[in-house]
Formats: sequence, structure tokens, C-alpha cells
Amino acid sequence: MKNDVMGIIYTSKDDLALRELTSQRAVAAIPVAGRYRMIDFPLANMVNSNIHNVGIIAQKNYQSLMDHLGSGKDWDLHTRNNGLFFLPPFTTRDNNGEYNGIMDALRSNFDYLRRSKQDYVILTDSDYVMNTTFDAMIEQHIKSKADITLMYQKVTPAITEFSSSSKNNHVYMGVDADKNVVGLEVNPNAAAYDNLFLSILMVKRTLLIYLVDQAISRGSHDLYADVLIPAIQANSLKIMGYEETSYYRRVETIRGFFNLNLELLTAEAAAALFDANPVFTKTRDSVPTIYRGNAKVTNSLVADGCVIEGEVENCVLFRGVRVGKGAKLKNCVIMQDSYVEDDVELENVIFDKEVTIRSHGRLIGQAQYPIVIGKNITL
Amino acid sequence: MKKKKCIAMLLAGGQGSRLGLLTKVMAKPAVPFGGKYRIIDFPLSNCTNSNIDTVGVLTQYQPLELNSYIGSGQPWDLDMSYGGVYVLPPYMTAKSGEWYSGTANAIYQNIGFIQQFDPEYVLILSGDHIYKMDYNRMLTAHIERNADITIAVRPVPWEVAPSFGIMNTDADHNIIEFEEKPKHPKSNLASMGVYIFTWKVLKEYLEADNADPNSKNDFGKNIIPSLLRDKKNMLAYEFADYWKDVGTIASLWEANMDLLQENPEFDLTDPRWKIYSRSPVMPPQYLGKNAVVQNSMLTEGCQVFGTVKHSVLFAGVVVEEGAVVEDSVLMPGTTVKAGAVVKRAIVAEDCVISANAKVGEDEGDIALIGQATTLPEGYVVKAGTQVDTDALRGEA
Repeated sequence: MKNDVMGIIYTSKDDLALRELTSQRAVAAIPVAGRYRMIDFPLANMVNSNIHNVGIIAQKNYQSLMDHLGSGKDWDLHTRNNGLFFLPPFTTRDNNGEYNGIMDALRSNFDYLRRSKQDYVILTDSDYVMNTTFDAMIEQHIKSKADITLMYQKVTPAITEFSSSSKNNHVYMGVDADKNVVGLEVNPNAAAYDNLFLSILMVKRTLLIYLVDQAISRGSHDLYADVLIPAIQANSLKIMGYEETSYYRRVETIRGFFNLNLELLTAEAAAALFDANPVFTKTRDSVPTIYRGNAKVTNSLVADGCVIEGEVENCVLFRGVRVGKGAKLKNCVIMQDSYVEDDVELENVIFDKEVTIRSHGRLIGQAQYPIVIGKNITL
Repeated sequence: MKKKKCIAMLLAGGQGSRLGLLTKVMAKPAVPFGGKYRIIDFPLSNCTNSNIDTVGVLTQYQPLELNSYIGSGQPWDLDMSYGGVYVLPPYMTAKSGEWYSGTANAIYQNIGFIQQFDPEYVLILSGDHIYKMDYNRMLTAHIERNADITIAVRPVPWEVAPSFGIMNTDADHNIIEFEEKPKHPKSNLASMGVYIFTWKVLKEYLEADNADPNSKNDFGKNIIPSLLRDKKNMLAYEFADYWKDVGTIASLWEANMDLLQENPEFDLTDPRWKIYSRSPVMPPQYLGKNAVVQNSMLTEGCQVFGTVKHSVLFAGVVVEEGAVVEDSVLMPGTTVKAGAVVKRAIVAEDCVISANAKVGEDEGDIALIGQATTLPEGYVVKAGTQVDTDALRGEA
């Protein structure tokens, strides 16, 4: 059954702490968990919530994202009405290809918002992995007659560890017993609240259009400082919180990215991220993975299309990775089509796509500071 | 509408009874092969790779699995607004309605379908073989020689030639004689069941064949002999690459094992000739802390905690800790529980091999477990035996 809800996925540009992986792509396009890109998770959450009109707001370096999403057919979003709308920036007087935050981005895509027919919008960032549906939030939002519902999660050591060294948009919310949001703080040094806003919100489409227009026409761009916080203070909008308890990891730093991938080697994390609902991704028609006679692969996630002849322990291997004879890999994240030749030794290393390391090479990183080798480099 | 130069008709209605329990609930072309494929992926991918964009799939026996697998044809890029893949089951008309009585009759009943595209040539395929073939080259040969029919042939070892349809040709590759399963073959060129007809000629012969009450309505038994009798221009097109009939449990097992060679005779990895298939939406495969996986092929959704040697595992197969799988083919969704041993066996989809059960032996014929069978704990299946839920119920 179709929902009366549309989705908008914002692909942000706050990527300084991930620059080794984002020099040629958006954060949303970073490969993760063996065969996915970051955006597959918010997109799967939309599709699994029967949301069939999804806009992707792209900016800067969106080529790899566009290539990944295509017509949306791998997500069953290539329908006649609705479907996937890729919204690239176009340079105009007020837009140089980079947005000044999400309000600015929405202003630039006003026509898409206006033309869509759904009553509600779910707006989300794309720098996290989570596998859930929005069904319960949608139900709460409609029943409670809220103007805006913000999704949050209780802060646990795990989430904060993943995001600790960067403070991009760490928004904490105070929520009372009736789920009303009573306060918001953005990037506090010492947070007063322990509810982390997950950068996912639900709002009526016409209200969103109104709010964006009001803000931009007054020269304000900040969703929090200019829209949400004043509304909470003036009690002018009914803003509610929705608590989400699914496994959630935001990727803001290289270390966080590394830890997330290795955490997926535990049964609990893998089950939470992979099994709750199907996660769709671009089909590649890879052949199955081949393990040769000397292969020794333990505690690892391996995608299709790999050929493994060496030893692999605690690793995530993406599609089409080759590991030569006598090679030893430990605690590594090796992306698509990389080639580890014979007798190479790697520990605590991240390879971006299409990296080749020649025979007898040796790279040993620290668990806290993994070595990252950029896309298409031969060592 | 714009006419199509060549369309393909894929005969997928056969039961494949020599595959025993494997084809009890699905037609032979739907049988899984090679870790993530089904037999029908090979002719369909060959069509896509040969730029043949219109394919009629003739179904009859147990079509459900095949129909849902083909769907809109999207995995093979055959979801088009003009052309694409069409599933063609037998149908009723105002006056009558009947099953496809033979391969030729199946095409005869779909003359209307073919006429829609007004093709010059029709490619007839079967869904029984594993091979990669450029049909376009065969079509070029057919057109160059102005042939009425071109039959793909393949040299087979002389000792097995008596089990094939054998084509005797002259020096110019003209077919001068056809012998179905001859005791003393004069040639070792076996028909691959791949034909290109000039549509005008085929239509005429299908109509004549249908009018003949004594005909078996079969290409090999009736249509081709009639063409020979009329001295039509018949060309043999020789194909020398890998081509394997997977019509028996032993040959299906063998073809899967062929893929595990270091330099396999049949290479699935060629980027210029990809084999497409409908991908299950599943996470990457996971190998546990004590897993041993060697000389094997695994795909998405597999989880291995035990030992897997020289085997092919399909999507979502689980091998628990302490379980051993050797020289076997485990089809999608099967679980091998702790302490169970599977050797020289094919286990069909969604089976559970319970703790300490034993399937197959080190020597002897291949053991087979039919679809969705749960083998009881400690149950023993001997080499060459076939077991499924009904068989288990019969024993109880």
C-alpha cells in the first residue's frame, strides 16, 4: 500500500574528516559494508516504508552518486508516477553548485516540492547507516497532529564514539513525557540532553514549503537556529520527538567508518543492519566469489566477484577484490576491484576502489588510525 | 510497428524428467546453476549479448517458478516497450485450446505472436544447456549463405555420439543427412538444439506439419526431416566452445564442479559476455571465526561457520559450525546443521540437513535431496539416492 508520504534525501557536503574517501564522491556515495553505498540505507528505509516518491538532493561531486542510483530501478523506483528524482544543483544567481544548508537546498528545489502530491515529507540526511521503516513515526506524526516530528535516539557510548572527533550537526533534543520537544542544542560542548537528533524529520509538505519560503526570504538558512529553535521557544509549532531504537551509526570520520565496517563482523550488528528489512543496491552482475585451495578466510564479510587465494582475517572485502597467494590481510576494509598481489601483508588498512598493491608489499596501520589508500592508486 | 530482424523463441516447457526430484516442482530451465544462476540465464544472456531483444519463452510444465523468475525481464535488459521477454503458456481460443503437443506445435500455436514483430528470421532455443554463444554470428552465416535453416552443431566424442541427433554435412557445411541417435554415426557433429529459420520457410512448414495428423509436431522428428526431404538449403554452423547438457543429476553436478577448476573451461568472468541473473537482495557472505572454505564458490547471503571444500553454495546457504560440505552443490536457502556431513551431493532449495545427518558418500553416484526437505537428525542418505519430503513421509 502506498503512503501519502514523500521522501527527500539530502546529500551533505560536511565531509572534511572523511576527505580521503570523499575527494571524488559525496558522503552518500561512500562504499560501505561490502556491497553498499551509504545512501542505500536511507533509501531502503524509504522504500521499505512504501514511500515511492524520493528526491535526492545532490551537490558537488555527484557523478558517482548518480551513476550508483541510475533510474532507480534497483530500488523499484522507476515508476511512471513518482519514483526517484535526482536533483542536481544548477548554477543560478543564488546557487553556485553548493548549498548553504538544507533550507537553501530545498529552496532551490521548490518546484519539485510543489509538484509532488503527497501530504507529508520525510527529510533525511545520508551520512548514517540504519535499517528500519518509518511506519511507526508516520503513525505517531499523523495521530499526534504534530507539525514536525524529529527522530532521535538515546545517546549511547557506541554512537558518540563513532562521531566523537567531529561535531558536524550534533543536535541534542529535550523531550518531555508527552513527546513534546522542549529544547534543542546544536554542537554543545557539554550536552544538557541525551537524545541525539538523527537528522530525520517528518513534516506536512505545505508547511515545509511555507517554512522554507519564510526562512530564505528573510535571509536565514539554518534549519536549527532560524526555524526549529525559535519555533520551540515561541511555541509556535507543535514539534514532537519520535524515539528510534534501531541500530544507527553515523559516519563522520575515517575511524568511525573503519570501526563501523569491522563492527559488522559481529552477529548482532550484522543482523541489525542486514536482516531487519531488505537493503537494495545497484546490481553489478558479479560472478560468485571463488576461494582457492590455499585460502584461509575467517571472521570476514565478502561480497561477490572476489578471488581469494591468501589469508583474510577480520576483513570486509567489497565486490571484485582479488587476494593473491601468500597474502595476509588482517582488520582491513578493501573496496571494489582492488588487487592485493601475492605475499602482501596488510593490517588496519582501508583501500578505496581499484587500489593495487604489488607483490611483497607491506602496510601496517594502527587500529585507532587506519591507513587509507585513495582510489585508483598502485603501490 | 517497426519490424524486428530476428526474434528468439525459447522452448522452456520441458519437464527434464532425468533430473529426478529436482524438477518435481519446477521446469528444467528454472533449475539453479553455478552459485547464482539458473539454466535459463544462459540462453537469455546470450540473447541480450547478441543484441536479440525480443524473446518468447514457451512454458508449460510447472511454470510458476520460471514465470516469477523471468518477471519483467529486467535483469537481462529485456524490459522494453517494444520487444523484450514474453512468457507464452498454452492458451484457449474460442473454438478450442490445447497443450503444446511438441516443440514444433508450441511454435505453431504462437505464430500470431511472432507475426506481430514481422521478423525475417526466428531463432529457436532450448533451455537445457550451459554455454556462451554469439547468435549474431550464426545469423550472419545464415544470411550470407541464404539458408532456409541453420543448425548449430558441436563435435562430441565419438563414443557418446549415438546419444545425440547427428548431422552429416558436406564440405561446404551443408546438411545432407540427419540421424536421431544413430547406432553407427557417420559424423560426430551433434545438434545443439539451436536453430535459425527464415521465418517465411518455418511458417510454411509449421502449417504443413500441423495439417499432418500423423506428425509428432517435433522439430527433430518432423520439421527437420521434412526440410531435408524437400532439399531445402540447410546449413550447419559449427560451435566449438564449452557446451554442456545438464539434463541429468550427474551432468548437472559435473558442470558445477567444472567451474571450480583453477582455469575453468567455462569462464563466467568475461566482462564482454556477462551472464545476467536475478539477484537476490542479500548481504555479503560471512565466514565465521572457525570457518574453512577452500576450492569453492560462494555467493551473497551465505554464512559459513563449518567446513566447505570443493563445493558450490548458492545465495543464503548456511553451514553451521562442525558441519562438513565436500564436492557438493547446495542450492538457495539450504541450511546444513552442526555435525551434518554432505559429500558428493546436490541439495535443492530451502532444505534443512539436520544435526549429524549424512548425505552422500566419498564414492559412487551423486545423492540428491529434493526441494524444501527437512532431513531428520542423524538421517543417512546413501550415494546415488534421492530423498524428498514425500519419500520421508512414505518411510514413516
